[in-house]
Amino acid sequence: MRVSTGITRASSRADYLRPLTIAVALASLAPTLTYGQSESTDFSSELLSLDGEQFEMPEVLTTTRLRQSKLRVPGTTTILTGDMLRNLGVMNLVEASRLVPGMVVGHYGSTNPVTSYHGTSQYEQRRLQVQIDGRTAYRISLSDVEWLAMPVAMENIERIEISRGPNSAAYGINAFLGSINIITRSPQDTAGAEAYAAAGSRGHLRTFTSVGTSDADKSWRLSYEKRKSNGFDSQIDGGEEIPFHDGHDVNNFNFDSIFRVDNRHSFDIRAGVLDGVNEEDREKSGKFGATTDPDIFMRDYYLQVRFDGSTSDSHFYYLQASYQKQKRRQSWTAEISAEDINALLPAGNTPFPTDQGPFIADFNEDAEEARQEFELQDTLIFNENLKLVSGLGYRKDTYVSETFFNGRGDNYQSRLFANVEYSPLRWVTFNLGGNWERTTTTRETYFSPRAATNFIFNDNHALRFVFSRAVRTPDAFEQDPDWSYLPSNVQAPFEALEGYRFVIGDLLDPTTSTYGQNLEEEWITSREISYFGQFHMDRALLSVEVRYFNDYMHDMISGVLNEEEWYIDNNVNLEQEGVELETSLEFSGTQFRVSYGYLEQDAWYIGDPSLPAREQSRAVDLLGRLSARNSGSVAWIQDWPLELTSSAAYYWTNEVRDTRFERADFRLARRVDMSDYSYVLALTIQHYLNPKPWMSPDNRIDDQNQMFVEAGVRF
Amino acid sequence: MHKRISIPETASCRLRSALRILLTVCTILFASNTIASDGSVRTVYIAGSGNTGLDQHLTQLLKAQFDEHIVLLPVSDDRLPAIQDAPVIAIGPSAFTRVWQANRKIPILAMLVEKDLVQSYAERSPGQISAVLYDVPLLRQALTGKSILPQATKIALMATSSSAKLYDPLIEQLPDYGLEARLFLVDGNDDLIPTLVRALGYGDFLLAASDDLIYNPRTIKHILLTSYRRNRIVIGPSQAYVKAGSLASSYAPFPVMANLAARFINTYFSDGKLPAPSYPESYKVEVNKQVARSLNIPLPDRDEIAETVNVRLGDHGGAEHE
Repeated sequence: MRVSTGITRASSRADYLRPLTIAVALASLAPTLTYGQSESTDFSSELLSLDGEQFEMPEVLTTTRLRQSKLRVPGTTTILTGDMLRNLGVMNLVEASRLVPGMVVGHYGSTNPVTSYHGTSQYEQRRLQVQIDGRTAYRISLSDVEWLAMPVAMENIERIEISRGPNSAAYGINAFLGSINIITRSPQDTAGAEAYAAAGSRGHLRTFTSVGTSDADKSWRLSYEKRKSNGFDSQIDGGEEIPFHDGHDVNNFNFDSIFRVDNRHSFDIRAGVLDGVNEEDREKSGKFGATTDPDIFMRDYYLQVRFDGSTSDSHFYYLQASYQKQKRRQSWTAEISAEDINALLPAGNTPFPTDQGPFIADFNEDAEEARQEFELQDTLIFNENLKLVSGLGYRKDTYVSETFFNGRGDNYQSRLFANVEYSPLRWVTFNLGGNWERTTTTRETYFSPRAATNFIFNDNHALRFVFSRAVRTPDAFEQDPDWSYLPSNVQAPFEALEGYRFVIGDLLDPTTSTYGQNLEEEWITSREISYFGQFHMDRALLSVEVRYFNDYMHDMISGVLNEEEWYIDNNVNLEQEGVELETSLEFSGTQFRVSYGYLEQDAWYIGDPSLPAREQSRAVDLLGRLSARNSGSVAWIQDWPLELTSSAAYYWTNEVRDTRFERADFRLARRVDMSDYSYVLALTIQHYLNPKPWMSPDNRIDDQNQMFVEAGVRF
Repeated sequence: MHKRISIPETASCRLRSALRILLTVCTILFASNTIASDGSVRTVYIAGSGNTGLDQHLTQLLKAQFDEHIVLLPVSDDRLPAIQDAPVIAIGPSAFTRVWQANRKIPILAMLVEKDLVQSYAERSPGQISAVLYDVPLLRQALTGKSILPQATKIALMATSSSAKLYDPLIEQLPDYGLEARLFLVDGNDDLIPTLVRALGYGDFLLAASDDLIYNPRTIKHILLTSYRRNRIVIGPSQAYVKAGSLASSYAPFPVMANLAARFINTYFSDGKLPAPSYPESYKVEVNKQVARSLNIPLPDRDEIAETVNVRLGDHGGAEHE
């Protein structure tokens, strides 16, 4: 693989503008073919028929849903191209976040990846809207993102847009700190067959195969990806290193297709199946004296249909419907002393004998989640100075779990959104947008607005002033838990407990428990001053984006939520302030990129004053668990003779839970293009500069140098 | 009572043919007599493309190049066999083929034809068959791309197995200009986009040649959109494709081609032989500014691009390199 060197002066701005304006260019210029010399060509009449065609339907743009250049967009957006990620040897999706200013990547539990923008993460991150091709990808029960189970192969990524800052004005609830939109490659761009394999340290194995065709009327791609890892090398237990059962083995099938009805209408149909196992270590993640590993078996499905249409070159719309289902099967065998079991039983129950061995039974945390989404979006371009995007959405979230919900529940969300971009003068653009929505989670209605003014200088520099408010409602498990465990396969002499319901609510400390209490929504008010500029040099393009932000969050939900303690509440207010930088320098065959984030976080407890001081303090601390004061990356991609491409990247995060992350990656790749096939060979070395485990003492890596080899072929 | 005489269909056709031949012979004799009696007026026939506007435009340009001693006469297909000695300017590939099929003894100067079409005829009948070549030399097109993207070093080319040989000279010439090219073979219709995807992964830009099997109205839109999605520009193959969405292409202006054609005809009248087929000496550049804006490419002035190309060609042996 090689870095894009074709248009070094092209920038992310081009990404925003390209599809629409190219369409306009191709369409509007075709009629002139009859003039001048083109008359001599035999195809001119056929090219004339291109007049007015809508070549490519507008896609969702993460920030406002309106295609906008970075000069006019009301906020700061990082764009990570798939090519750049592949050239840097980024091995999985979550690792890409290390390139985003202000984002931190870590692992919790038995190596479950988590990434957050501006912290406020307890264990899972619940305050980001993550989408794959416009389809909501965060989970229903806890609003977190299960990165191991994301149905996206690295090879299929076109680009990832990360809108940094509250974005509820465009996407509603949960686009609280930002939104991530993973955009996959069009099947039109991947026609042919491809096979790829990578293997390396800690059992890393990734294979990818893809086949597809493309013609004027239809394009499709069927791809299969396998990703496997052994996780970390070991964990610490009682001061000793012991094996860590924390790997994963995931199979991911995706089907993507586009069917053109005519010049102005087309269908996108996508479907996928994901199947795999996420290994959970009984020492690390086991409950109730687990004697077997509580591995999570995953099986997910999705189907997405989108109809794009346009009535003219300045009026586009789409209707999108999707259905997705996630099944999780997690069970383990537990061994609990008879004394402990007797203590759990209600008073009056005849105690079980304590001299006939422990209570042995199977427990599970099986769960199913399903989501149906409908969205209608309409874009009107009145003229170059006035553009409007608006739409409505409806979502039904269903969760089914005997353990967590004692059955099933549904949440419904309906919303209206709009954003208008108005540029009365060449040097100023106003954006005004908002999202009105109603959710059954709290049975309330919310409005999340955003207003921004961009001052534009010399068509290459913009100074933005952005004000926004965003909302997040409690997720299903926070708001409506009905948590219990039903043992099965209970061994003698405890058979009478087969199917008995151990209700978590009964086990919690009543003096601190908030279990079952209604939670309110969280709010963030954000102010941003940012600058984006491009400097065109003789043979290079320098892009600079600096963001200053001041976020005030109130009624944040924090606290502990497990089977022993439950004291979550709207109990913390936070103020965050900081500066972020993203810059790149591109010239022929060379790309430099630097990102940096500085974050100051001030949080204070506002909840029930009767909660013990230790718990109050912990509630505050939990929201800073993934907040790093300094973080950043430096990357360099270079083309060399002999079809070689090298990359070097340095990532650091300082610091989280008294640990500092520092890693340098080096990759050397050779891509050879033959007349009828191409192949690539690559070697990547990841060097951990800091030998201390990152975030958790259990995240241990034996060798500071991790090696990976890759090979791929495309026909 | 009238008696109707009916002439059989075949007899009627024969009569019409005979009259037409008679008329043609008279015309030619009259024209020849004009030359014979005057001694200073010569006739050049124009075999048109069928596109009236184009034929008239080119005829006007040619007329402006000749003095009053040379007259341009349009000639229809059925009159072609009777022409003797007078040269025929054939406009376009189909006109050239028609003239050659109708009369293999007359001198033919083809215009708006590509080198690939006329080269073999000209080699077999030197002095009798010539052309002002319409396709733009690939090297010139490559340098046009280089002028727009100075940092470009790699050019992607797509060809079928039958057209691959067309690129051999270009691939050999490019290293002198700090460029290299790679050929990606398209095996069939289904292979076009997969090959394009690979080609775009290699090249800084795609150089489109006049290869109808690959670049035609059915494929061009798909090729252009796929290229732009991959952030790659397309150069060539002609002015028409620029108007359809290709970023730029060099082209020879009609007056320049007409001027070269007139010089060839004058050479024929003075030497009795047409010179070998040749490319025009000067070119202009057509650009699609809207595409450039969309791709965020700073586009130099058209004349500046053309001049840069000329300078680069001049530095390395000039047009003969083409």
